Amino acid sequence: MSDKKKNGRPRHWWKTAVIIFVIFLLYAYGLQVTKVNLEEPLEPKRQENLVSLIRSLARPHLFDYETETRSTAVSIHMPCPEDIKASQVSIEGRSALMVPNCATTTQDRISITGDGFLPNADGLIGWRPPGADSTRRIGEFKVGPDGHLEITFTMPDIRATAEPQKLELVEIVNRRIIGLSDTTMEALDKIVETVLMALMASTIGTLISIPLSFIAARNLMQNVKAPISGIMSGVILAPIIGGLGWWLASGIVGPVLSENSTALASLQAGLSPLGFVGNFIFVIIELIILTLPLVFGLIGAFTALSVGGRFGQRMTMNLADAPNRALNIVTTVLGTAVLFIILAYSLTWINLLGIREFMPETTQAQLSMFTVPGLALGIIAGLLTLRRPARHHYPIGLLIYNITRNTFNALRSIEPLMMGFVFVVWVGLGPFAGILALTLHSVADLGKLFSEEVENIDEGPVEAVTATGANQVQSIVYAVVPQITPHYIAYIFYRWDINVRMSTIIGFVGGGGIGFVLNRTINLTAYSQASVMVIAIAVIVTVLDNISSQIRSRII
Amino acid sequence: MLKIKNLTKVYDDGTVALKDVSFEVPDGEFVAVIGLSGSGKSTLLRCINRLIEPTSGEIWWNDVQLSHISGEELRRARRQIGMIFQHFNLVDRSTVLTNVLSGRLGYVNPLASILGRFPEEDMQRARASLARVGIPDKADNRADELSGGQRQRVGIARALMQEPEMILADEPVASLDPALAHSIMRHLQQINQEDNITVLCSLHFLDLVQQYSTRAIALNEGKLVFDGAPHEIDDAKFIEIYGREAERIG
Ligand SMILES: Nc1ncnc2c1ncn2[C@@H]1O[C@H](COP(=O)(O)OP(=O)(O)OP(=O)(O)O)[C@@H](O)[C@H]1O
Ligand SMILES: [Mg+2]
Repeated sequence: MSDKKKNGRPRHWWKTAVIIFVIFLLYAYGLQVTKVNLEEPLEPKRQENLVSLIRSLARPHLFDYETETRSTAVSIHMPCPEDIKASQVSIEGRSALMVPNCATTTQDRISITGDGFLPNADGLIGWRPPGADSTRRIGEFKVGPDGHLEITFTMPDIRATAEPQKLELVEIVNRRIIGLSDTTMEALDKIVETVLMALMASTIGTLISIPLSFIAARNLMQNVKAPISGIMSGVILAPIIGGLGWWLASGIVGPVLSENSTALASLQAGLSPLGFVGNFIFVIIELIILTLPLVFGLIGAFTALSVGGRFGQRMTMNLADAPNRALNIVTTVLGTAVLFIILAYSLTWINLLGIREFMPETTQAQLSMFTVPGLALGIIAGLLTLRRPARHHYPIGLLIYNITRNTFNALRSIEPLMMGFVFVVWVGLGPFAGILALTLHSVADLGKLFSEEVENIDEGPVEAVTATGANQVQSIVYAVVPQITPHYIAYIFYRWDINVRMSTIIGFVGGGGIGFVLNRTINLTAYSQASVMVIAIAVIVTVLDNISSQIRSRII
Repeated sequence: MLKIKNLTKVYDDGTVALKDVSFEVPDGEFVAVIGLSGSGKSTLLRCINRLIEPTSGEIWWNDVQLSHISGEELRRARRQIGMIFQHFNLVDRSTVLTNVLSGRLGYVNPLASILGRFPEEDMQRARASLARVGIPDKADNRADELSGGQRQRVGIARALMQEPEMILADEPVASLDPALAHSIMRHLQQINQEDNITVLCSLHFLDLVQQYSTRAIALNEGKLVFDGAPHEIDDAKFIEIYGREAERIG
């Protein structure tokens, strides 16, 4: 026995004790920080609030009703006369007894009993202020199955008068639905908006993330290597040709847009008879015009990269070592300088850490200030190229892969709600801001998920298709795309699902959709309207959840 | 004519898969590549069409130095060299016809092919290739609906679409049963003899080597240890190729 104990590991009971003590402290501190308070929720006032909230939520303002009522009037005194009595009425077989029939303060309890009322009817107690022609609701009641009635209520805030005042017991005799309420109509309207927001965000997000997912896939990018002269020639040419593209496109678009009034307006006028279809075409055209400089700039930059890459490849293949090295150094010096200037200028522009204070005002002065350190850095980088063989191919693909993938991860970790906040500041309140926020998040999310699917494919077919002499695009289309398509479709629906959920609440930060209305009704404490919105959200989310899971299960 | 001079391949992790390998393959030969698992057979075949970048050495193919070309030139060279794989490497979710047509990608207009359009002539060529390997009726099946033997026939049909001058086959029968193995080997032999296509084929079984190849080269730990007629592999050579512990069964 004792041997066994010696062989077993010594029990550090004090370590366990310390751990337990630390955990205890952690929870104790947590309790204090999170302000857990068990008394607050039990206070009568709080409970009343909760009950009234739950009751309003339980009575969604879905329909408009036409109600037929019958009212029984009882008189009440305020303040109490000398001889406190009970009031009794009886009309048409109904009788009601109110004890006492008066109140001295507005907090006095009063009770009413009655008989001969409509069995099981709902009703409310109304008070008609002296001289008014409508009643104010001060309570509710429910008639028992035998027509018996028993109510106690607190005297409301009634002004004292010499004359007796009137309380009315209003029974609901009959209630008919005469149509959907305004709230329901608004909910339907906003639900459509919400679903369409999700649809737009998912579609645009998918379209953007598909091409990006290929450059965020390690297996496709790790073999993309280029000599340094190729990479750097691309970097030098990119801003030049890209800028040229931008300049050309804005040269064409600028006039069209500045004459906006004539050209675009007449276009819009021409399309407007087609209704929302016309508007769609107009928006698309406008979008193309607006993004044309950007697209041309990007195309220019990409062309520059590929032309530069080819140039470098060709030179590397054909040049002897010494001139090759010279080319490497020259392109690296210039390329690094260009990169540095672009980076430094961007950082200055966003005023990183208040850097603008120390910078000259004009763009020109800023650029010329960056040139010298840029070139100095370039010379260091140029000399560093000597450490590698002249024809060394650098893994530029992996660099691009890492940048893209990390950008995706960073964007994914930002809640769409916060993105919504930023876009509301930029494009104003409304669904457009919501669409932009959800699109951005979808691009990052889908881009990551898609690229992981690309990484999981069977490489065999890619190898086989490449061996036939297919180019990169062909081998992606023939060997990669068929393998990833079903997964992509499943993810698109999954994302649509998420976007519907997100778009129901992105309205809380002003991003449009049903969340916007929900937020408003809650702020107005119009809970029975809020209830309609909550129901609408629940219904639409459930329905779309089912649809998307059905489609997914059918595809896979 | 394929000429390999001092070919060396060192993988990124430092593994030396090929060490100073030199040999020549005149047109029309059926050359078997043999050697233990890990001896570098796959690496050799993949270096020839540059699926793997050689570290040093020269690969000459009809006066083109394969090891020094890139881009368009490389693709032009690749389309003359068909390749067949142990695991077939078909695109499972595509039809057999699409798989076969993909052998034509080096020739057709890239844009049209991306949109899935092939010239009528190529469609007929694809059906003819399938007929030639004995599965004309499978064109519209999905590739994953076929049996192993049928899948390798699709692989051969795809290679034939390239109208290749040479076929590289990396253990084309290693995942098939012996009967199917012979039928696939006979197809390769037929292609070699009728179309005068050079075949470079890695094999595991000596009986297949002796039955089908006109010449054999052997690798051991990345070094060329034998180059000669298959029947010259006697017991002494066998031990040199496969090591002392190996026992001859073929
Ligand atoms: N991508 C790689 N990275 C690092 N080492 C590799 C890689 N591919 C293969 N090797 C190594 O190179 C050597 C040769 O491999 P190779 O696949 O060419 O052999 P093989 O003769 O085809 O073998 P098998 O008969 O099993 O197919 C082996 O030691 C292997 O582990
Ligand atoms: Mg192998």
